[in-house]
Amino acid sequence: MKYYITVNGKEHQVDVVERLGVLRVAVDGKALEIDYQEADNLGQVALLCEGKSFGLSIEGDEHTLSATIAGHLYAVEIEDERERAAHAAERAQAKGGGVVKATMPGIVVRLLVKEGDSVAKDQPLLILEAMKMQNEMTAPADGVVKQVHVREREAVSGGAKLVTLTATS
Amino acid sequence: MFRRILIANRGEIALRVIRTCREMGIESVAVFSDVDRKALHTRMAHSAVALGGALPRESYLDMDKVLAAAQSSGAEAIHPGYGFLSENAEFAERVTNAGLVWIGPPPAAIRGMGDKITSRRNMKRANVPVVPGLTDPVADVDAALAAAETIGYPIMLKAAAGGGGKGMRIVRSKADMASAFRTAAGEALASFRDGSLYMERYLDEPRHIEIQLMFDRHGNGVHFGERECSIQRRHQKLIEEAPSVVVTPELRAKMGAIAIAAGKAVGYENAGTVEFLYSKGEVFFLEMNTRLQVEHPVTEMVYGVDLVREQLRVAAGEKLGYEQKDIQPRGWSIEVRINAEDPFNNFVPSIGTIRNLRAPGGPWVRLDAALYRGMEVSLNYDPMLAKLIVWAPDRAGAIARMRRALQELNVGGVRTSAPAALRVLEDERFQQGNFDTHFLATIDLSKPLEGEDVIVAAAAAIHRHFSSQRKALGTDASSRRAWATRSRGRQSSYPPHRPFADAAAADATTEVRP
Repeated sequence: MKYYITVNGKEHQVDVVERLGVLRVAVDGKALEIDYQEADNLGQVALLCEGKSFGLSIEGDEHTLSATIAGHLYAVEIEDERERAAHAAERAQAKGGGVVKATMPGIVVRLLVKEGDSVAKDQPLLILEAMKMQNEMTAPADGVVKQVHVREREAVSGGAKLVTLTATS
Repeated sequence: MFRRILIANRGEIALRVIRTCREMGIESVAVFSDVDRKALHTRMAHSAVALGGALPRESYLDMDKVLAAAQSSGAEAIHPGYGFLSENAEFAERVTNAGLVWIGPPPAAIRGMGDKITSRRNMKRANVPVVPGLTDPVADVDAALAAAETIGYPIMLKAAAGGGGKGMRIVRSKADMASAFRTAAGEALASFRDGSLYMERYLDEPRHIEIQLMFDRHGNGVHFGERECSIQRRHQKLIEEAPSVVVTPELRAKMGAIAIAAGKAVGYENAGTVEFLYSKGEVFFLEMNTRLQVEHPVTEMVYGVDLVREQLRVAAGEKLGYEQKDIQPRGWSIEVRINAEDPFNNFVPSIGTIRNLRAPGGPWVRLDAALYRGMEVSLNYDPMLAKLIVWAPDRAGAIARMRRALQELNVGGVRTSAPAALRVLEDERFQQGNFDTHFLATIDLSKPLEGEDVIVAAAAAIHRHFSSQRKALGTDASSRRAWATRSRGRQSSYPPHRPFADAAAADATTEVRP
């Protein structure tokens, strides 16, 4: 199986083949001798690679995860070939406008725009409060507010859709 | 000395106080909200009283409930920790009026320092140097714009009743004033029920340096040197150290004397901290925190003192029993705050359940935490999960030890600030002591780290390989749900099978299950 793995913004292509219970792994075309053992089924992994030992911690799902090695955090996105094609199509479609999502879980304390409003890049769309910190969510580009997905006082989770913008052409 | 005290707090600081109580043979009474029933402070105290509620104002901020808990449990004194009611003069007064001992400064001292505007006035009167700015709050955006012309940009907007970075904004130019004023006032109102803001000049290359004080009730006061807390983001501290690379013994003596004078000006008792801004050799009074600070452990490490023990001693009426000349620093200590926040995403709060936990160990490593596996990290409380503290004979040794300890630490289930701290400690400028309060903003954490990304890519692919395999073979609920999710997109284009999707039918199925 071929996977496209983005580690902190840098893409790698990884081939994983299982044959007779043995994994063969190649990163960017280079075969690596790897022994991967889950230590506790909670995300701690004991990994040996080419004689080096890595006490790794992994958490996340099949598509996004974070890995920690010796205190450093690596944000990882994983796509197989089918997912990669689907994501590319999605991105092409959304070009221009798009959905502004909550960068953190919180409460919408104030809406500053309504549907139909024209907004400029960096204009505040709403104020989101989390742990008593208020943050303005701003427009990523010039556009028109197509839909407001939230109401004032509403609690939203991280990644929730807040406002959909259409690009001004 | 007290026989039993109540700790009006939660998390690591409640545990910190409980630990000293145990060592002194004093019984500790914990209070807990509904969500903290299983929290470590609830479990480790001698006794625990339920406050109910989840939000702070329904639990740890509810003065009636906390006082009732103290009285029903037979506590003689209340330790407020930091945050919550710790700097609330009204609460301190009510504690005293109820015949209990308040382990902290007298209410008048809290009032004299608690409001930043009042404290600036008091300090100006006592000839303590303060940052150029207004001693009165500004009414609105227009007034702020007018005042800014005389003070000069950049300007700092601060909540009059504030703390912890809430209700604070830097305004670099006229154009930014309206938006900054609006969000700062909104935050101040939400956090402190007081939206008033004051303004002051924002200093260049500022370093945050603070002096730890301890006063008894008999007019004796000493300082335990300085802590430097310049590594901050959004005005919240991330790394603290003692001593500071820029503080000479002469400057320490000078700042100590100013701090003691500041404390005496308001009739201070118990532990307190005077915060200074250091800019190019000059120091300015910022504010006094009338409580124990989060970062007090670095002082404890360098001075070999248990500050909570001293707090309890002086609150019980004992004399300090030592003088300034008896207090000498030894070696270097660093603290890193482990917050539940995502350093890759502008430090926004991260919530979840603590999955796995690997605590660092080894020589001169201290972990002050109330973490346990299975703990829910929610938005109800402060995002600080733990404090990691190390000591070494010198600063280079302390940095090396902290890097080693951070490499050992692993908190799974939420993102934490630990990787950001590690990046700071690895930075040459930090190692050379060449930094100010803007330092953290200069580190681009999203920049790909040259490191083990090949190993991570391989591990991630194997992780995906195994989890896909498990899902394909597995019969547990999660795998079924995953399959359903995957096919949902396709199903929506067909007419739904209503009879089988009926809720009553689903219930019937549940009932016949064992």
